[in-house]
Amino acid sequence: LYMVAACSAIPISDLLDRASQRSDTLHSLSTTLTQDLDSHFPPMGRVITPRPSMCHTSSLHTPIDKEQALQVSEADLLSLVRSLLQAWRDPLVILSTSANTLPHPAQNSISTKVQELLEHTKSLGDGLDILSGKFGPAAQSISSLPYRGGNDISQDRISRLTNFHFLMSCFRRDSHKIDSFLKVLRCRAAKLQPEMC
Amino acid sequence: VFTPHAKGTGNSPPGKPTLNRCRSPEKETFTCWWEPGSDGGLPTTFALYYRKETSETVYECPDYHTAGKNSCFFNKNDTSIWVNYNITVVATNALGSTFSDPVDIDVVYIVKPNPPERVTVIVLEDKSWPFLRVSWEPPHKADTRSGWITLVYQIRVKLEQEKDWETHHAGQQKMFNVFSLRSGGTYLVQVRCKPDHGFWSEWSSTSYVKVPDYFHREKSVWIL
Repeated sequence: LYMVAACSAIPISDLLDRASQRSDTLHSLSTTLTQDLDSHFPPMGRVITPRPSMCHTSSLHTPIDKEQALQVSEADLLSLVRSLLQAWRDPLVILSTSANTLPHPAQNSISTKVQELLEHTKSLGDGLDILSGKFGPAAQSISSLPYRGGNDISQDRISRLTNFHFLMSCFRRDSHKIDSFLKVLRCRAAKLQPEMC
Repeated sequence: VFTPHAKGTGNSPPGKPTLNRCRSPEKETFTCWWEPGSDGGLPTTFALYYRKETSETVYECPDYHTAGKNSCFFNKNDTSIWVNYNITVVATNALGSTFSDPVDIDVVYIVKPNPPERVTVIVLEDKSWPFLRVSWEPPHKADTRSGWITLVYQIRVKLEQEKDWETHHAGQQKMFNVFSLRSGGTYLVQVRCKPDHGFWSEWSSTSYVKVPDYFHREKSVWIL
């Protein structure tokens, strides 16, 4: 995406199409990861997992239905997507470090997938950073959503699993938002080629 | 031994209801259905309650009628996405109330669209070999134009007398050509769709198309 975005001859609709293919993969990956985790998760753990409204990104005001989403301008939608991606840079690094020693039977596969998430998120973020230049100053502004969970998810077994699960479920929801907003943007940009949407 | 409400009349509090399915056809509204338990021999009423993760307030089902018996319909104004709904059904009769197990759902994960509509199949010819051109429209409720929902399609075909379907992936296209037909038979064609992160719809109702008898013509040329 980076290389292509640098070349101004590529239409914005094509760039958004590539971006939403990437975000689609990102969300599908986070879904299989959550399923891997769930496949061996103590039922007690699920009960003590914090509620999703406690995710570090939940303070970001995002649309909650179609009507709201379609009222947001292109620049503001892009800004929301970039803010979410930015907010996950640090926590994804923490997830990938802790995945190496996660007390879980599917640890290997989880670890590989988190690594992929990290790479996809980074390249999508880099691509959108460049793309945002074409959408004016509002698209350039990023809301800061710091993660305050520390550098390690925890020492003891149960809270390691619980915190990992909690962070993943937050990421899963945010990656769905990212994907949905990018696909709305893609269709707005594709007005001249209605067969895309 | 004397057991209060049982032996004599056979009456008891209602059995436990089960919330067994919630579905959104378009990421804008959704419906949940429940299975009643035993009625305990008495007239039993049902109520569905829900609470969203972002609030402590408990609400009752806004619409018990639109989606039929034992269901609750949430219209656009009652439906938010990216928020968990904690839902419980309560069965009540004169002897007491019984709660279902609560269910947590986020509408984005229960999307199952209606089948594609206006499926048309025509027989076309390429270098005098026949092929099928199948075209369709997305289910009218799904807003694919704005990008709110993105659908991919599958089509399947089979000859009338055959047992197995042959399935093809059409991606986001709303048209698909099927080659390598056997001539002189009637083909059955169906289409279904799936949102980017959801469930396959049911198959559309079957379209039938008769492929003219091309084979004999070819064969006679071949013998020459």
